[in-house]
Amino acid sequence: MKVLLVDDETKFAMMLAKRLALRGIDTDYVFTGEEALAMAVNSRYDVAILDVKMPGIGGIELGRKLSGLVPGIKFIFVTGHGSETNFEIGSGEAAYYLAKPLQIEELIEILHKVTQ
Amino acid sequence: MIDRFRKNLMLIWPQFYHHDNEDVLAHYFRFTNYRKIWGLGIIILIFAALVPLVAATAIHYRLIQESVDTEIILRTERVTSNARRAVSFFLEEHLNALRFTVNEFRYEQLINSELLTEILKNLKLGFGGLTDLSVIDDSGVQIAYTGPFKLEGKNYSNQAWFVESRKQHFYVSEIFRGYRLLPHIIVAAKSFRPDGSFFILRATLETDELIQILSSYNTGEHADIFLVNRSGIIQTPSKYHGDIFEKVALPLPDYSSKTQAVMTHNAQKQTIITGYAFIPTQIANTPFILMVVKQKAGMIGVWRQLRTNFNWFVLLDIIAILIVVPIACTFIVNLLYLADQAKAETLASAEQNNQLASIGQLAAGVAHEINNPLALINETAGYVKDLFVIKEQYHNDKELIENIDFILEAVERCGTITRQLLGFARKFDVNIQRVNLKEVISDVLNFHKKEAEYRNIKVQVDVPEDNLDIETDRGKLQQILLNLVNNAFQAVNSGCRLDIHASQNAPEEVSIKISDNGCGIPQKHLLKIFDPFFTTKERGAGTGLGLAITSSLVKKLNGSISVESNENEGTTFTITLPTVIHKEILKDEGATGR
Repeated sequence: MKVLLVDDETKFAMMLAKRLALRGIDTDYVFTGEEALAMAVNSRYDVAILDVKMPGIGGIELGRKLSGLVPGIKFIFVTGHGSETNFEIGSGEAAYYLAKPLQIEELIEILHKVTQ
Repeated sequence: MIDRFRKNLMLIWPQFYHHDNEDVLAHYFRFTNYRKIWGLGIIILIFAALVPLVAATAIHYRLIQESVDTEIILRTERVTSNARRAVSFFLEEHLNALRFTVNEFRYEQLINSELLTEILKNLKLGFGGLTDLSVIDDSGVQIAYTGPFKLEGKNYSNQAWFVESRKQHFYVSEIFRGYRLLPHIIVAAKSFRPDGSFFILRATLETDELIQILSSYNTGEHADIFLVNRSGIIQTPSKYHGDIFEKVALPLPDYSSKTQAVMTHNAQKQTIITGYAFIPTQIANTPFILMVVKQKAGMIGVWRQLRTNFNWFVLLDIIAILIVVPIACTFIVNLLYLADQAKAETLASAEQNNQLASIGQLAAGVAHEINNPLALINETAGYVKDLFVIKEQYHNDKELIENIDFILEAVERCGTITRQLLGFARKFDVNIQRVNLKEVISDVLNFHKKEAEYRNIKVQVDVPEDNLDIETDRGKLQQILLNLVNNAFQAVNSGCRLDIHASQNAPEEVSIKISDNGCGIPQKHLLKIFDPFFTTKERGAGTGLGLAITSSLVKKLNGSISVESNENEGTTFTITLPTVIHKEILKDEGATGR
């Protein structure tokens, strides 16, 4: 399983990537949408974990662009803006929404669910 | 109809009387002391109404009094004047008779007693009232006499009337008793004989006729008309002012040729009107003063009656003012108070909403700022834990892992708060759909089924209509009900009761009541329970956001929420929701609600 993590909170992204790596999940992390698009061209990711609110390209928009670049990619959106039930915004496609701070076990569970 | 009547009746009852300045709404009121406004209003209005009334009445009385006084003085004057003319005429007529006699007959003829008797007879026929007739020579000796008394040869030279008669041509005496001891008047005419000496023809007048003349002018019960002489001795009978030949009990006026009337007081302090007239004749002066005395009380009887009636009218008027003014004042101050009360309530609720909104914005800002570092702490601590757990390098150090778990727990609790705060302030679209109330309530209760069984709490749902559907946001309604049921469960002990009752109370309105018989809410907390961050739980145990969020959710659904509670008896939350939410209103709400 190959995961792309995009979050403008650099330390958060690094930490989360490390934790996923400890659990045997191969994770690349970048800090902006542009970097993410560049990474996606060269690699083949199964799942993208995207922060909804980022400077430049936001998570939702980035998701739309990535799904054009990487066929079959799944998305998990994370946000610092309220609970998961409170935003039903976005594409309406099959996607998961998680609120920060994340529960690592929940995230792992969802990752396994979407890649099955 | 009856309700409307009662409502209107309540408007004249001073509802503001127990207005409490300590009340939570007090500082939203425009005025603080309604009782003072009320009292002042009543006093000012009563004064404004009564002062002109009393002043007008007093002026009216004074004018009437003056005109009545003038009128009764004039009336007395008129009576006095008429009576004077009659008395004058009576005396004049007899003087003229004597003048005619002394001019017509010579002295020698007059001393002939047969002729004198004949003359007396003719005079009696012509004028009446004469008793006798006599001739007195210039030495005062009565030469001839005709009449009922034997008075021939009497010498009058020392008598006052003779002394006076010698000085004048004609003479009228006072009324006196004289030798005969009967009240009489002497009238005398002086004439000269060819040799230069004089003689006097004297006649005695009975007073009966004079008294009769006077009494014919005596009108009214309290009127008195009589003659006095110039020294105030009563000459003819008086009803109230003394016996005949006694001094009159009234002051005498100075001489005046005219009739006059004055208002004075008598010895009994009664107001009297006294008419005076000095009685002259064209031929000779007389010693008489005519007095007409009337009691004012007797003369103004009619006016008194009128005044009594008028007084009653004024009194009724004053009573009417005293009744109507307080009622009108109460009515007006009540309207003012009720308007003020409505305004205060609106202001208070607007302020609360504002407060809620700004606290919400602040909270959201704070929560957002905290959330990212929180996420970082979470991941970092998580990573440290991961290092221990997964790498197994520090696997056996239980204490470190325990401490890291404390951090993670604390972070999770913070996360819950920030999530709630964000949810509280978030603007989101309302997703309207048809919702069956009975279903929603049983869905919500399913969450608590286990807890209710475990704690032996009896939950009773009473929704009379199976098809009680409304158009609203299902998720939000669920959250509202969930919050309220949660609250109730926290308030009750094991073995208590929880009732949920839903009903349609108007065509466009449903209400849901959630009642428990738990610990209740103290009165002082009741007004604050919808405020954000208000909690009575221990520090850290509650966020104080539950009811604030519930309240804002109800508002988003265009509804209202209220609470009634008695300490130790239980609490009832009532939510009122519209059956249909109009989208236009929602948009406005959304635009200003943030």
